[in-house]
Amino acid sequence: MWESLNLKDVVALARDPYPSIRQWARDTGKKVVGSTIADVPEEVIYAFDLLPVTILGTHKPLKKAPSHLPDNACSLARSNLELALSYEGDLFSGFVLPQVCDTTQHLSDIWRINFPDKFVTSYLAPRQADRPSARYWVKEEIERLIDSLGGWLGKKLDSGALANSIALHNENKTILKEFYEIKRNFPGAITNKQFFAMMKVSQQVDKAEFNKSLKAIKDGLKMKKGKNYTDVVMVGITCDPPEIFDIFDDLRVNIVGDTLVTGTRYLQGAPALNGDAIDALADRHFKRGFFSPIHDNVYKNFEEVKKLYKETKAKAVIYVHIEFCESQEYDLPDLKDMIKKEGIPMHVLDTEYQTTSLSHVLTRAQAFFESLKGGSL
Amino acid sequence: MNDKLTSKQLSKKITDEYMEDAFHAHDNNKLVGYTTAISPVEIFVAHDIVPIYPENHAVANLTAKKGVELCSVVEGMGYTSHLCAYARSDLGYRKTGVTVTRGIPDPDLFLACNAQCFTLTKWFQVLARRGDLPVFVFDTPEHILDQKARKEIVKYCVLQLKELISFLEKVTKRKFDYDRLKEVMKYSAASSILYKKFLDMAQYKPSPISIFDALIGMAIAVYRRGTQECVDYYQTLCNEIQAKVDQGIGVLPKDQEKYRLYWENLPVWFKFSDHAKLLGSYGGVILTSLYVHAWSFEFDLNKDPLETLAENYVNRFSNSTIEDRADMAMDLFKKYSMNGMIMFMNRSCKAVSFAVPTLKEVLTKRTGIPALVFESDMGDQRFYAESQVRTRIEAYFETLDRLGLAQKTAAA
Ligand code: SF4
Ligand code: SF4
Repeated sequence: MWESLNLKDVVALARDPYPSIRQWARDTGKKVVGSTIADVPEEVIYAFDLLPVTILGTHKPLKKAPSHLPDNACSLARSNLELALSYEGDLFSGFVLPQVCDTTQHLSDIWRINFPDKFVTSYLAPRQADRPSARYWVKEEIERLIDSLGGWLGKKLDSGALANSIALHNENKTILKEFYEIKRNFPGAITNKQFFAMMKVSQQVDKAEFNKSLKAIKDGLKMKKGKNYTDVVMVGITCDPPEIFDIFDDLRVNIVGDTLVTGTRYLQGAPALNGDAIDALADRHFKRGFFSPIHDNVYKNFEEVKKLYKETKAKAVIYVHIEFCESQEYDLPDLKDMIKKEGIPMHVLDTEYQTTSLSHVLTRAQAFFESLKGGSL
Repeated sequence: MNDKLTSKQLSKKITDEYMEDAFHAHDNNKLVGYTTAISPVEIFVAHDIVPIYPENHAVANLTAKKGVELCSVVEGMGYTSHLCAYARSDLGYRKTGVTVTRGIPDPDLFLACNAQCFTLTKWFQVLARRGDLPVFVFDTPEHILDQKARKEIVKYCVLQLKELISFLEKVTKRKFDYDRLKEVMKYSAASSILYKKFLDMAQYKPSPISIFDALIGMAIAVYRRGTQECVDYYQTLCNEIQAKVDQGIGVLPKDQEKYRLYWENLPVWFKFSDHAKLLGSYGGVILTSLYVHAWSFEFDLNKDPLETLAENYVNRFSNSTIEDRADMAMDLFKKYSMNGMIMFMNRSCKAVSFAVPTLKEVLTKRTGIPALVFESDMGDQRFYAESQVRTRIEAYFETLDRLGLAQKTAAA
């Protein structure tokens, strides 16, 4: 079902993957398990013969979620809860919900209370990452996840299945990295929207099938350099709605690097295949880049951004701010200062899940890139 | 020596001495550690680090209605208006020096425990960056329902407390004294029992204390636990309240105490006394909240100190699941015979407010008592609509009257 998609199909799938996932679940008889971001080891879920799906909001209207949440809950949390409560809840047999910030901690409770008949477990990621106890805890949590999935399904995890799952996920990431490399050098070959659609779909469908589509798409790409592209680095957690990428494409802006949780951070630290699989998954947690709720050092974020900016020879940094994400909001003023002091042009995009009108984003982005080209930044 | 002092005088004395000690910490070869109100401060006390709670300082400024002035400054620095008002007013104080107290000494290090919220960790990180100071994050995963996971969480927290001790040894270049910690734990355990006894006096009819007394009374538990004077203070306070009970003195006279209310969330600090008066005029007295109970620890002195610390700090209400919070609130309803509830959606504090809509559903269902829910901010007056709140309160008491709930106790 997902093995012979072209780029157009992938973009459409990224917009609303759920009808297709439903069909797949019906056809295969397999169970679907949803997770919010970030850092749930999806390889483990997949190894239990389940389909792990990263839930990344809905574009359908808000109906039920607002009555469960404070008005100033982040728009990603609101949108995710809406998706589960109003639209796709029945598709999922279970949920593995990571806790990284106050919002996700409480969202897990609300979620569990609203789905009393489903398997709902929390994945308690450590919210510190620089001490030995953090590694100990990641491993504990991976083991607890294995136990609770096993208890739910009444079976033990097959170590061969886990190794295969890791290999499959690694393969997916390798292909996506190759696409990124192509995109950097040949912006005319693949648009921002197409690339990030591939990233998103990779987190939502069966990679055993989707990797085949990706390989075929890659083989068929025409390596077009394109002209007058402005290279930028995108910084943040997620970037939604996907029409934001249209704006970049229209302005001939090429995203050549990013720190998004649903972008490069997802690709980082592929677990090694030649040792203990759980150790390898635990190690991966510490090879991933900065994520504001779990890392305590904005300097680290700044250093990463600076390095990426230099390595990619980008012309600017685009920071994607999610409305009401307090984690970002405590970091942003200082990060902005550091980036400004370094002389790096920076533009902050204020985004909100469920937004339909992007005219303000377009106007501000246009003004930014015009002044960037005119050298007035 | 303190026998003759009233609890109020004692509180002032303890606070003055504590602040004096804090301001002269460096003269006495001590370091100042900023920490969160719910954090294993016993480790600081045992290692002679003076704990300072920026939250307490923020409360003083917000209660004195400095919220708008301080928060506006911070918004000009790029921080958004929906972050916690404690953090905003504190950052505003750093920028302007404006405070209604003598201020607080600058920090040497930070201990952020996320059993309370994640905001404090981020806020401390902002402060730490300014002076390039060390932050220790004591990460307390949610006290989830799975019993086996709880045991693992405690193990993880004990490991971290050991790391905290090594961290402090490194910063201070002094060896940590475990015997001293045991001493400190004794004081903490004793004062916690007395603090809880004080809060539980709200069980009496009429209640000798309201939540406003509890909010004032809790201050010493927050910043002086782990000391003999903290124990003395709560002993004095309990004696005073017991004397009121013996004489039948209530916040409201017995025949006027119609509604014994539960409050969910932190208070609206700048409306603190107005709310007490307003509710009193309807025969309502707020008795308690989960918030004030956050410092009623139950330390087990027979256990390893690090283990009992870890157990107690992970299971605070603010780190508990909504299901557990509902059970904790139900216990209070039964124990204090409450017949009304005010649920405050505090836009400052997501850590507490996220639970409010669900808790309201559960508690109204389980008690059969309607709830008053209102939205505002605990410290930023711009988000407080006076007439709206008054009208809601009035309407709420009318509803309770209509339902004949006065003096009726909560159903189990
Ligand atoms: S990290 Fe930010 S975007 Fe993610 S759930 Fe928390 S508040 Fe929302
Ligand atoms: S009010 Fe809430 S968000 Fe603010 S510091 Fe306290 S617990 Fe944290």
